[in-house]
Amino acid sequence: MPETIDSITASVIQGTLENIAVEMGYKLMRMSYSSIIRESEDFGAALVDAEGRGLAESAQSTPLQSGPIPGYVRGILKTLAARGDTMRPGDVIMHNDAYGGASHGPDVGFAVPVFHDERLVAFAATTAHHLDIGALSPGSCGIVDAIDAFAEGLQFKAIKVYDRGVRNDAVWQLLRDNIRVSDLVVGDMEAQIAAARIGAERLAAVIAQHGYPRFQAACAAVMDYAERLMRQAIAAVPDGEYRAETRIDGFADSSDPTKRHLPIVATVRVKGDEIEVDLTGTAPQVPDRPINMPLEGTVDVAVWLTIRSVLLDTVLRGHIPVNHGLLRPIRITAPLGSLANPVFPAPTIARFCTGNAVADTVMKALAQAVPGQVSAGIGNLKVIAFSGVRPGENGGGHWVHMEIFEGSYGGRNGIDGMDAVDTLYANTRNNPIEDIETHLPLRVTRYELREEASGAGEWRGGLGSVREFEYLADGGASVEADGHEFAPWPLAGGSPGHPAELHFVRKHGSAEPLPSKVPHMRVRAGERFVCVGPAGGGYGNPLRRDPALVRDDVADGIISAAAARDQYGVALLASGEIDAAETARLRDRMPEARV
Amino acid sequence: MRLIGVDVGGTFTDIVFADTDAGQNLIHKVPTTQDDPARGVIAGIVELCARHGIAREAIDHVLHGTTIGTNAVLEHNGAVTGMITTEGYRDIVHIGRHQRPQHYSIRQEVPWQNRALAKRRHRLTVAERIVPPRGTELVPLDEAAVRVAARMLRDAGVEAVAVCFLFSYLNPAHEMRAAELVREEWPECFVSTSSGVSPQFREFERFTTALLNAFVGPRLKAYVERLDGGLGEAGLSADLHVMCSNGGVATAATVAKSPVLTLLSGPAAGVLGGAWSGALSDRRNLITFDVGGTSADIGIAIDRRFAEATARDTWIGGFPVLAPMIDIHTIGAGGGSIAYVDEGGAFRVGPRSAGADPGPAAYGKGGREPTVTDANLILGRLDPANFLGGVMALDAEAARRAVGQLADRLGLSPEAAAEGILTIVNANMANAISSRTVQKGLDPRDFVLVAFGGAGPLHGAEVARALGIPEIVVPAYPGITSAVGLLTTNLQYDAVRTEFQIGAEIDLDRLNSDYAAMQADLARQLAADGVPPDDAAFERAGDLRYVGQGYELRVPVPPRDLDAAGLAAVCERFESLHRTEYGHVFADSAIEIVNIRVTAVGRMPKIAAPRLAEGGSPASALIKTAPCAFRVGDRLKAVATPFYRREALPLDVPIAGPAIVLQTDATTVVPPGVTLRADRGGNLILRLET
Repeated sequence: MPETIDSITASVIQGTLENIAVEMGYKLMRMSYSSIIRESEDFGAALVDAEGRGLAESAQSTPLQSGPIPGYVRGILKTLAARGDTMRPGDVIMHNDAYGGASHGPDVGFAVPVFHDERLVAFAATTAHHLDIGALSPGSCGIVDAIDAFAEGLQFKAIKVYDRGVRNDAVWQLLRDNIRVSDLVVGDMEAQIAAARIGAERLAAVIAQHGYPRFQAACAAVMDYAERLMRQAIAAVPDGEYRAETRIDGFADSSDPTKRHLPIVATVRVKGDEIEVDLTGTAPQVPDRPINMPLEGTVDVAVWLTIRSVLLDTVLRGHIPVNHGLLRPIRITAPLGSLANPVFPAPTIARFCTGNAVADTVMKALAQAVPGQVSAGIGNLKVIAFSGVRPGENGGGHWVHMEIFEGSYGGRNGIDGMDAVDTLYANTRNNPIEDIETHLPLRVTRYELREEASGAGEWRGGLGSVREFEYLADGGASVEADGHEFAPWPLAGGSPGHPAELHFVRKHGSAEPLPSKVPHMRVRAGERFVCVGPAGGGYGNPLRRDPALVRDDVADGIISAAAARDQYGVALLASGEIDAAETARLRDRMPEARV
Repeated sequence: MRLIGVDVGGTFTDIVFADTDAGQNLIHKVPTTQDDPARGVIAGIVELCARHGIAREAIDHVLHGTTIGTNAVLEHNGAVTGMITTEGYRDIVHIGRHQRPQHYSIRQEVPWQNRALAKRRHRLTVAERIVPPRGTELVPLDEAAVRVAARMLRDAGVEAVAVCFLFSYLNPAHEMRAAELVREEWPECFVSTSSGVSPQFREFERFTTALLNAFVGPRLKAYVERLDGGLGEAGLSADLHVMCSNGGVATAATVAKSPVLTLLSGPAAGVLGGAWSGALSDRRNLITFDVGGTSADIGIAIDRRFAEATARDTWIGGFPVLAPMIDIHTIGAGGGSIAYVDEGGAFRVGPRSAGADPGPAAYGKGGREPTVTDANLILGRLDPANFLGGVMALDAEAARRAVGQLADRLGLSPEAAAEGILTIVNANMANAISSRTVQKGLDPRDFVLVAFGGAGPLHGAEVARALGIPEIVVPAYPGITSAVGLLTTNLQYDAVRTEFQIGAEIDLDRLNSDYAAMQADLARQLAADGVPPDDAAFERAGDLRYVGQGYELRVPVPPRDLDAAGLAAVCERFESLHRTEYGHVFADSAIEIVNIRVTAVGRMPKIAAPRLAEGGSPASALIKTAPCAFRVGDRLKAVATPFYRREALPLDVPIAGPAIVLQTDATTVVPPGVTLRADRGGNLILRLET
């Protein structure tokens, strides 16, 4: 087949594959029950070839869910082979093995194999974050006291929930008996299967239409294409070795120094059109606390996400197909036994914030090579699992609600940081207050921007948020967060951002600060959490910030007039307008001005 | 009845006159007056009347489509807008759903942050709080604070105010009172409330909709009043109606108060016009395919009715809009779409477009990049001397140069590269149609493709073939379907209320009384618009989901009080829709009624079918025979192809492809294997061999 015909066919087949992945995601999101999937969009959908190489992913889903899907498929293939089993038409395979390609236990994958002329040719698969997976306390976030993989809930290693089209009722019984809020969780799993089956059906039709050799050739061409784009982008980065270090809280209240203030180190080596990311220097694994990250499924996704977002920024480069080809020029290594490459059965369920810190650290390393393309340090995230038992139901009708709390971006070259958004490898959505209060015994008593805490810079860091949740009935909560101890890093002469905070307010008003990780605790009606989000780092010398922008920030109540003067050297008149003469005088006198 | 439809486009203002009694339809085109489109509209109507000796005072209705509000949002130049909201929630519209628009981008903008509709300094808070489930008052409204806020906003130079309180969809009393207080303090202020604009849950989306209403309000209100006044001065006493996103029209007064209703109306008239054409040929299930220079709009009509887009899928300029909109899907593929080889070596077409200026290389206005139009020209499918009725000559050499450069990079002949451009753009269009049909459980083979817009009839047959659609309808005036569509509408008002009632616990009395109250409100509005009761009709629907889901499906509800059996039938209907849409049902789950809806329709007079001349023959319609490149079997080859003049084609005489049909506003391509026939509905019908 001439190459040119191939480029037209490849373009047509690529569009069709993306269309299928989008359809899977669309259906899963709309059918699913729990807000963590349908509102937060913490799910993934993708098509994968027979060797476990990603072909296309759903555009709506969150990167941390779709990115790992090829790894799930490879884990499934390996596990089945080890068991002497094979894939057959009609099978649906469930998998969440964090040491076998899965991202972590609550992100359960369902894969449906696609056959062509009785030969296994591809997979359609979905992943989703489930509300509960049978861990020691309600919910699947904030299980920060799990001491090993067994304490995290059920482990599924390539379990056939449908075997040649026949439903394995025993497995479903097991799920219902071991998972809280099992109606929701099982409903979501059924939605995942329905979406994966539709994807498999569509993919089979595409392969039948084009014939397998032509389909394979098109997939190869599309992967080569994505690879070329990534190689070109890497080649434009100056060769060199760029090392960066950040720290995570870990368990800041622990007396054990190996559990707190842990380093994350990334060394990015750029050579020609290839990148190696080496996480040597990152803290050793915490053997009995679940902040360790699967290398495949979490660390790799964090690294890819950052490299992709910095070097092939969608807004600047347009749509780029997400497939295996993008990953070929990137090599990731981490010492065995470190946080970034733990050894079974080290627990991993609460790896969310650690992984986002890896993404941030990789960006900090890239900042040395391509400072115009990154943001200053991001604010990490927070998840609270709210739960309780509804009255009047026999035997405990649980409710569980997981809310992801936003971080913020650092300032960027030419534009302030994004305020109060999910950061880096997470891109979920909050739940509407009007939905939460209608369906749960919770009240959101405040949701605003955090004032007078921002990373000063020519381009200011993004603002954090303040969100408060009050309980209207007795219940419980657990917290999984990071970023309370260390401020997001500044860049190019900016100021650091501000760490996150969490306060627990008793009914009569006494408030106590909480660390970023809190195992399940009881909460009474009338008590509330005050969640103060982190503010991103500043970019560039604040004295170079356009005084008009400083004036606007004061008018908007984001910074005080005193901060305008002290941090930015901008003096304002009583009218709020700029005092140009005084501003010039202030800026001239400030030592940073000579930098 | 004598009707006028006026659609204002970027370059031309199209006017259609229809005398429904005499069955006379006339068409006129004038340049759009960009600074004030009302001038062009009035001048065009006056010209048309003068040219055809029509008495202006005898015109009964003027129906108008405008993008004034839409453009104000897209260009971000609406009113300086203020907001009064609940204390503690000042930044709901800034934080949004805390999601970034793009997954993979560090340097992206967040529209609601970087292009805020109301700056933070203009977002003021007052004490008040309503709580669910019944909308009871937890904190009373601080009326004094509202007055202070109103004065502060006025003094700060704000021009319009949105009042946005949490849970106002359950109980609008605080919002209504606050709006009243703002008007007392500041009578000339344009005020909108979130419950008045769209009483549905999801505060970010509802508040943003209210802000959009305020943002475009003063400008659109002034425009509509100016146009209405100008028509009067020009001696027209006709009622002015304006096209809305829901596929209906509203009175000028309603639109001046709720301009947000028009924000997504741009493509609505076009698809309605397409559907009307399909109906003239008695086709009921239609895919409307409106292809212009930059984009293609796709609509699906089942039994001639368009579905409404779900409230979570309607956006404008990056902002969510909770306003009823017919479900139209737009992609960046049209005649001006640019073909290129990107950095990775992939052959791509669009979404970047050469637009009208410079336009395709063939326009000879300085465009150097190859476009879809250039590809059509190279393959012989456009006649350089007969483009747009000969108004504009096409430069075949310029097209060949532009496509030739691309062809050289790909190692192809210019013809093969041109065919590649069409293959890719047609596949993009087919994928878009597939996403609206196959993905929703609809089989495109059960539909007819109605192809219009300047470029739709060029691509219709190839796109239909890719989807297995057996038949294509090309309307009588493919290039002015929007203006025609305006004359096929009704007055239409929608009411919605969030209900949140669940399965076995549904309070039927409350449900029925809520429906009745909404219907009574709408009936009053139709009466106020002068619609006689006999011309008014009401439809009910509900947005249902399984308890716990976040997305609802729209289910029709019978137009009378529901009893237990009626409710059960509604739930059954929901399950069957769920199966169609998603391929799955959750048999054991309870069903929740999230929103209830009533649509009121006031019947309007409509354009009649065009009268067609009998007689003629293919030979008399033949302009010339020239070679066109088509793929026959595995090979692209030049085939001698007759070119026909559309107006001269005989009725009901089948003509085998290949053929090209020329008319002033479009060119229709009939590839080999497709049969053409001019039918008595005024359409061209293309049938694909099966």
